[in-house]
Amino acid sequence: MIDSLLCVGERIAPGITELDEAGHARVSAMIQHALDRRRPALRRQLAIFLAVLRWSPVLRYGRRFDRLTPARQDAVLRWFHDAPLAPLRQGFWGVRTLIYMGYYGRPEVAEAIGYRPSRTGNAFLHGP
Amino acid sequence: MVRKEFDIVIVGSGAGGGTVAKELSALCRDGVRIAVLECGPRLREEEYTGREVEMADRLYFDGGGVLTRDRSVTLAFGRAYGGSTVVYTGTSLTLPRRTFERWDVAGLDYDDLERRSRKYCVENNVHLLPPDRINDNNRLFAEGCRRLGYRVEQFPVNVKGCEGSGLCNLGCPNGAKMGTHRVQLPEAERNGVTVVTNCTVDRIENRTIRASVTEESVGHPSAWAPGEYSVSAKAIVVAAGAVNTPAVLLRSGMGRALPALGRYFTCHPALILVARHARPIAGYFGHPKSYYCDEFAEAEGFLLETCMYFPFTTAKSLAGFGEEPRALLSAMDHLQMILVLALDPARPENRVMIDREGRPVVDYSLTEDVRRSLVKSMRTSARIFFAGGAERVHAPAGRKFFIESTEADRIDELIPFDGFRTGKVSVSSAHLMGGCRMGARSADSVTDAWGRVHGTRGLFVADASLFPRSAEINPYITIMALADRVAEGVRADLPHLTH
Repeated sequence: MIDSLLCVGERIAPGITELDEAGHARVSAMIQHALDRRRPALRRQLAIFLAVLRWSPVLRYGRRFDRLTPARQDAVLRWFHDAPLAPLRQGFWGVRTLIYMGYYGRPEVAEAIGYRPSRTGNAFLHGP
Repeated sequence: MVRKEFDIVIVGSGAGGGTVAKELSALCRDGVRIAVLECGPRLREEEYTGREVEMADRLYFDGGGVLTRDRSVTLAFGRAYGGSTVVYTGTSLTLPRRTFERWDVAGLDYDDLERRSRKYCVENNVHLLPPDRINDNNRLFAEGCRRLGYRVEQFPVNVKGCEGSGLCNLGCPNGAKMGTHRVQLPEAERNGVTVVTNCTVDRIENRTIRASVTEESVGHPSAWAPGEYSVSAKAIVVAAGAVNTPAVLLRSGMGRALPALGRYFTCHPALILVARHARPIAGYFGHPKSYYCDEFAEAEGFLLETCMYFPFTTAKSLAGFGEEPRALLSAMDHLQMILVLALDPARPENRVMIDREGRPVVDYSLTEDVRRSLVKSMRTSARIFFAGGAERVHAPAGRKFFIESTEADRIDELIPFDGFRTGKVSVSSAHLMGGCRMGARSADSVTDAWGRVHGTRGLFVADASLFPRSAEINPYITIMALADRVAEGVRADLPHLTH
């Protein structure tokens, strides 16, 4: 399931493609940890949704998701993001949330995106 | 199965349970035995790391992402010594009289509730932060509101020695937030109350609690060894929060006699809205929540508050994916944020249930009125952002990802009502209320105005599940005030109760 998630994840959080091997491993580990703590029924639903996401492009483009061009992958994801049926939108929301958790939940991303809290933040309220 | 016997057992240690524990703890001097059973851990000081996902795992149920049955809302509620008071921002408001009048609970008096609220404002060091402790994220919100002629107020907060880590929602790493883990529970323990952490309550039968203690990977060891427990008490106070209190009572088979049990659940469905400024805001320095605007509470059904969240929480609050969210999140030091709370109605259909394994399931739907309120709140927030100088705003229901400042005169057109679609727009909630509402009759309520469960002697409720409707403000002071009443009721009833 992690591989399917990361395949989609590269379009959702493009920064993933710029990570080194250790970064990829960290994203995977965080997502896996979150999945392990969810109920089996939720994990099953996620696996089903990922299968739908993977194979549904065959109907439109004749290829499964991971064999599409990035532009077409984005088109597929946009459709799911704003799909007419709520379960499809919510499935995409779940995938997106897991990817963001893996990518933006890493403590090491903070500095790169300008997030620099301090235990003594009041000392920096009006400049360093 | 280990058997234990107490006079009073309190389930939960948050704003409700912690308050009841402290209020009753003076009885320990007379030999009354009191225990608090808390399912979460009691973290060591060094375990408050401020790391987002790690702390969410340690301090929240399901890492702060409990999903409603239809997956349209995520619910965040704490599990720790101190419950959700460990992870709130400490904003301390007294229930407005207009809201109280809508509650319409027989036997509950506003002046009494206000007096008790004031008591906890004093006890928990509630005060206004001085102007030099207000960060730019908060200041810009207040300035934007004032420029638009909107009423804006400063939040009283319950901090002592706050150093402005901005990490309130991940547990203060400086121990500055005066939740029950800092004030009420330590006092209760000093007076002789036993607090048992890592202890999950399954059910209550004939004034006997079935519970289990587990070993956690973090925190101090529990006062009791891991295992199964049968705990009897003369009086049991359930204060496990608006999801778990109804769930415990439902697992205990009380649903048939109490048709309102679990129902009338409300949660102030919330959106986190984000705007980008040309210059650094650095809203992560300082207390994150200093102002609120209730200008639209009555007419439009929403409340606006300042907020500042962490990278993952911010990311999941955005609509869209790919380069646009990445661009917005690439400079978190330039972001201004507003938290929107919809003042949702109490409906019997919105309820806490249990599944076949007895786990709580929250069946909650956003009404059309709430959806419209949330869209209007996005429009209003966009105006406030621009009035505060933002260069671009992200509205999750917007026709496009960014609304530029040059488009500020087209906000209504760019944030249409039909742009709000569950799943696309990320809705969350941290103010969980109702499910054991107070009232006069068992036909449409669960407890009386003192938290006594209808028809079950010696059983009380003391948390936000008592609320008959939403609080329309941040609820913890009201929870403490009600818990104070419940403690008084327990004191009065105890001499007449037996094991």
